[in-house]
Amino acid sequence: MAPAAPATAALRSTRLATTVVGSYSVPEWLGRLKTDYYQRRISAHHLDEIHDVAIKAALKDQELAGVDIVSDGELRRDNDIDYLLTRIPGVAIPDRAKTDYYDYYDAEVRAPLPESAGMSPGLAADYAFTREQTGHPIKFSFTGPFSLSRRIRDTGYADPADLVRALARKLNAQARELAEAGADLLQIDEPFLAGYPEQVDVAIEAVNIVTAGVAVTWALHVCYGNRYARPLWEGHYDFLFPAVTSARVDALVLEFARKGFDDLRLLKEHAWDRYLGLGVIDVKSAEVEAADLVASHIRRALEFIPPERLMVNPDCGLRHLPPEVARAKLRAMVTGAAQVRQELGARTSP
Amino acid sequence: MLIDVRPVAKLTGPDPVDVAAVLAPVFTALSSAAVDLARLRVVCDWIQYRHNFYQPVEVRPVLANRPHRAEPGGEQARPAESGLEIAIDMRRCSDGDLAARVARALAGQAGQDGAGHVLLEPWQPASESCLWRFNTLYWQALSRWEEATGREYEQALPGGRSEARDTGAAGDLIRELLRVWDELDARRALPEEIYVAELGVGNGSQARTWLDTFTELDRLHGRDYHRRLHYLMGDYSAHVLDRARKAVAHHGDKVSTLVLDATRPQQTLAFLRGKAFCVYISNVYDNLPTDDVASIRGRPYLVEVRACLRRTDAARIARRYHTRPAELTALVHRLLRLGPDLLAEALPDRFPATSDAVAFWQETWSALRLQERYVPLDGLDAYQVTPAITGEILRPLVEGCGDVRMHVSNGALASFAGTLPLLHPFGRLQCHDLFLTGPGSYLTGFHGPGKYDGSVVNWVNGPLLVLAGHRRGFDVQITPLARRPGGHVKTLTAQVRD
Repeated sequence: MAPAAPATAALRSTRLATTVVGSYSVPEWLGRLKTDYYQRRISAHHLDEIHDVAIKAALKDQELAGVDIVSDGELRRDNDIDYLLTRIPGVAIPDRAKTDYYDYYDAEVRAPLPESAGMSPGLAADYAFTREQTGHPIKFSFTGPFSLSRRIRDTGYADPADLVRALARKLNAQARELAEAGADLLQIDEPFLAGYPEQVDVAIEAVNIVTAGVAVTWALHVCYGNRYARPLWEGHYDFLFPAVTSARVDALVLEFARKGFDDLRLLKEHAWDRYLGLGVIDVKSAEVEAADLVASHIRRALEFIPPERLMVNPDCGLRHLPPEVARAKLRAMVTGAAQVRQELGARTSP
Repeated sequence: MLIDVRPVAKLTGPDPVDVAAVLAPVFTALSSAAVDLARLRVVCDWIQYRHNFYQPVEVRPVLANRPHRAEPGGEQARPAESGLEIAIDMRRCSDGDLAARVARALAGQAGQDGAGHVLLEPWQPASESCLWRFNTLYWQALSRWEEATGREYEQALPGGRSEARDTGAAGDLIRELLRVWDELDARRALPEEIYVAELGVGNGSQARTWLDTFTELDRLHGRDYHRRLHYLMGDYSAHVLDRARKAVAHHGDKVSTLVLDATRPQQTLAFLRGKAFCVYISNVYDNLPTDDVASIRGRPYLVEVRACLRRTDAARIARRYHTRPAELTALVHRLLRLGPDLLAEALPDRFPATSDAVAFWQETWSALRLQERYVPLDGLDAYQVTPAITGEILRPLVEGCGDVRMHVSNGALASFAGTLPLLHPFGRLQCHDLFLTGPGSYLTGFHGPGKYDGSVVNWVNGPLLVLAGHRRGFDVQITPLARRPGGHVKTLTAQVRD
């Protein structure tokens, strides 16, 4: 397998580059096997092998669908929070039993996190495995410090913002390791931020701690939640602006397909001059969008942002969709993007 | 040989059931029966429903393989059996010679398939049986049934309705909603339209209590949420809806009524997706179709049933309505298709008046019995509980109980899973019904089906709904009714967690 092509170069050279947000469909049988692991029916070794196979299949699905920038589908992760929290020294998880793998642990921080200790095991090995399996450019995503902090009972910090900052420093160390391993498109996911709009400044400050000194292309994904394919919050993206303009990221990846495209105006109003990851696929509905509909969404976005700065992706992760639906939605997304690309003229060469 | 005595609560106390008196005649019968005792299960239940679908002694084959579907009109070879179950109703087995009954039941099972009965349908999962068409007919032609019996259907229910008139419980819920709405409003996140829905409306007393209480509390609260409120009443029966509507007539256009199928709420209420702050469901789930699954010696089985009439009952009914027993099956299905009014119009010689067709309906329903057999499943995941949920959801419940037979509550689960997406992120589902609270309940008692008037009742597999809600990100609690903590009817509440 040829080494993965740089994602950053793909982004720059491809108008309307198609990608995913992160997670990929978790079939029922895989969910069952994951739960079997937590109930001690299969070993960690067997589960690792199962994950290896599942990730290879997820990559193949994305490649066959024609997605330009692929991900490992976050298939090793039990959920968006615990996979990271269990690796952070100083985060206490008294009870590690789960009746279902997707449940959240009850996590607690009783004292300031030890600054010297890194996350163990780190995320770079996950990226390295993915890189061995595909020649496509790769996006690697992880949950951001603000959302991680919302799942921790914090008795260790006088100011809750200090926990967010401490988590950000841990993630910054991870980002450095990922960059060293070759990752060049990293994405911070903040699925809980929309529920705490008054704390957007702290969240953005923490994002800047994560990205500091890591010379990759950075994306920030903010949605309204996708836990169990349900929105956790409702509202609009007004709260993100203008704070997010001070985030040291190269791309904003936002949810539009489910909620509508009215918030695109915010990008113009606040002169967003970086990339936009445009959510064109509703991941909370099993109804497969027509490629024409995807194309119309993209055309609408082009009224606010030029094609050179537009990425095309689903609203959020695909984990809750059945595999056949996820595949069909990705195909529709790729076809819709290709339609608009054709309308715009020949694909720009590097 | 395995003996399973389920009603353990009746084996102790001042007046315990004499198990030896039940089992001794069974063993007497078995001593001379040509049955492989090593593959036999004797299951003793206490069927508390005076009107039910079973004989005091039933024999049920446990099939070795899934049988092939018979060609229409073709003969079907008797499927191979890997075991046999003798089911005894301990409440009724003391009437007469139990040993002789067991011997007859075994002989009947070993003889020609279906002998001694008029079969109304082929073997199929219970949720597809014609007994549910009887149930549907009951709600569609409820006024005819009530005219014949001289009483309203609520008088036949197990008393769950009185909770609907509990202004204290309604007030607590409404105060909580007002608090949530204030918070959302402060963040400009409260929708302009506020929806509350009720599925299964009874006589309208729940809606009246809720709306009267809401109007008063909202007035005191002073934010005029009443202006934004829409109360939707949904029911399968237009007759019930009309009656309930009168109870809330003084709330005018705040209330809308919708005829809907509770097992597919989104078919009618898709516009509510993510918008309902409260959905209330009372005494609906226990009346929706269900299959049974069983785990026998570690293997999963689906219980298949076929509705039938005993020859003696069939002969009596046929005689009264000037037909032959062999023609009864077609006549019953015509009744289920047409209803009593049109049946009387179509066959005036047999049913001179609608009341005669209703009497035929009631007699047939009263005599209706179910034969059962256990059919192996290729895997729980190969069985669809609902079109969107596989039997995989049952695994934690079935695997944790050893040999067990339990309701799948297909209709209730479809309704529940279809209702959850209607809830606003800060909404809640509240449900009063006959809920079992643990899968172990299936090891210690009989929980349906039974007959309530012309309808079917099954206790609801509460742990299954809890699990399904949990897998969808909801915190689901089943608690005793506040006003009647010792009663069978319980409250299920579902809210978004995490």
